[in-house]
Amino acid sequence: MKRAIYIALAVMLGGFAFAQDGKTLYQQECGACHMVYQPQFLPKRSWQKIMQTLQDHFGSDASLDSADKEKITKYLLANSGDSKRVLGEFREIIQSIPPTQTPLRISETPYFKKEHRKIPRKAITQKEVRSFANCNACHTKAQQGDFSERTLAIPNYPNWED
Amino acid sequence: MKKILILFIIPVILFSMSLEEYLQNLQNQAKKTDSSFKGFSAKRGEKIFSTYRIGKRGKKIACISCHTSNLRNQGENIFTGKKIAPLSPKANPKRLTDIKKVKKWLRRNFKDVYKREGTPQEKGDVLLYILDQ
Repeated sequence: MKRAIYIALAVMLGGFAFAQDGKTLYQQECGACHMVYQPQFLPKRSWQKIMQTLQDHFGSDASLDSADKEKITKYLLANSGDSKRVLGEFREIIQSIPPTQTPLRISETPYFKKEHRKIPRKAITQKEVRSFANCNACHTKAQQGDFSERTLAIPNYPNWED
Repeated sequence: MKKILILFIIPVILFSMSLEEYLQNLQNQAKKTDSSFKGFSAKRGEKIFSTYRIGKRGKKIACISCHTSNLRNQGENIFTGKKIAPLSPKANPKRLTDIKKVKKWLRRNFKDVYKREGTPQEKGDVLLYILDQ
């Protein structure tokens, strides 16, 4: 009996040593190409669709091996905007999505569009920003989840005020 | 207890292929399709790396569009603005140490620029070029 416990312990420890959790994998795999978007930004159905279409992820082959994919999907679904109570911008965005829609981009959601409608196109396409995918370029605390106005600084548009 | 340890160690050794082994694999495959194949070339790799094609999202791009033509420099994903650590193992010792990653990025990035996977010869050429930088 004692032996069985040791074996079980060894298996568990071995497993922990090599396995990475869903959050770490999400940060590593997805964050290799773009900002690590908070899962709260989109509803479950969006994350499901994104994870099912990684072979053509906005023009890139972002496919993963099935074990990694499963762990990342689990993490995203458990933390999506409609799986727990979310606040602030996350809440605004989630609530703005019509139930019939499954956005694949945060920038497609009605609240996002409304909040960014006055920003000149050039401010987004300039090389310091590149695209709406690059939240960090202007939202200086985006990675920490702070998208408030006081953290906003558009490169080369020092006097920008909404 | 020993047996258990061995059980965990074996798969780690089996799955962690070295870059030399991977290059050897690629070379064997290249020989199979072309009997006149005489080994990889960093020069051909450089050409593959710097040739512009209509790639991802219909944009004319080359590998150097994001990685720059100096592989010791930091690059930047031109679509998302995400910074890319230098590709050269001389500037970034972690590069080319994880073969799972090497395979993944060769597959993805060939598709981004060339809209197809690279052949074993092309992959070997590019790896040799990166090693050379």
